[in-house]
Amino acid sequence: MVASSPTESLDRLVHERIRLGIVSALAAEEAMSFADLKKVLRTSDGNLSVHARKLEEAGYIKVQKGFEDRKPKTEYRLTTKGRRALEHYLKQMEAILSEARDALERS
Amino acid sequence: MVIPTQDDQDQAKETLAFIRRTMESASSFTAVSGWGLIAVGAVGLLAAWIAWSRDLGADLWIWIPAALVCVPIATAFNAAKAKRLEVPIWSGAIRKLAWVMAPALAAGGLLTFALDQQGAAALLPGMWLTLYGAGVTAGGTFSVRAIRWMGGMFLILGAIALFRPEYGLHLLAAGFGGLHVAVGLDLVLRHGG
Repeated sequence: MVASSPTESLDRLVHERIRLGIVSALAAEEAMSFADLKKVLRTSDGNLSVHARKLEEAGYIKVQKGFEDRKPKTEYRLTTKGRRALEHYLKQMEAILSEARDALERS
Repeated sequence: MVIPTQDDQDQAKETLAFIRRTMESASSFTAVSGWGLIAVGAVGLLAAWIAWSRDLGADLWIWIPAALVCVPIATAFNAAKAKRLEVPIWSGAIRKLAWVMAPALAAGGLLTFALDQQGAAALLPGMWLTLYGAGVTAGGTFSVRAIRWMGGMFLILGAIALFRPEYGLHLLAAGFGGLHVAVGLDLVLRHGG
């Protein structure tokens, strides 16, 4: 099936803003705690949990639960699958821009 | 491929900008302030100049105050950067960095007085550079590549200073002055200040 819009073929798991934020942040930082991610993305506990769980279920991120100074600590890491998904998504975004540039040059 | 509409293009541009902002914000958790490093480097160069002009070399009355002055300077710049980027000042990553560096710095402090007492002050520049390099290299695991590179360079300068102590002051100036300023500039230009 041919997509009617260039954005239709995008990976919806990554395309959603909070999930894109999680994946991008973890691409820059090897491991981030729940609290740090929440600060970077400026979102609520509930929102972050829901989206992080979706990414975890898809195998895009790994979650490690433990304790630090007797306080529970959740740490997130990007998996190889997640990094590939982000790279593919970035290529798609760049393709939209270069396609538009080509169309402009042709006209 | 379908020709993207203006809306598609705007959305793509905005999305790429969002990804970049998020990545910068995330990496700034561990990034040391570039301006802070430049300021610390300036203190290093000033200390080296005072030592050189008075022909004092690795005099503890110059280098210990210089090191102590650098602690609040670096802390203030790091805190200012964290505040500007609206990220926690004492985040998990920076705490780890400080803890990992602490043993090497504590060992450096101890050896400073031991070597000085034993009349081996000529070895101080090499020891300072080597142990600081060891601490920065280990702490740099939690930061950007430039910091790890800086740690490695300190180790090399330290090794030279240990075996050619006559160049100790030059190597102190190159390390605590030059390297800090150079890596600070790199952070300012490539990692947002």
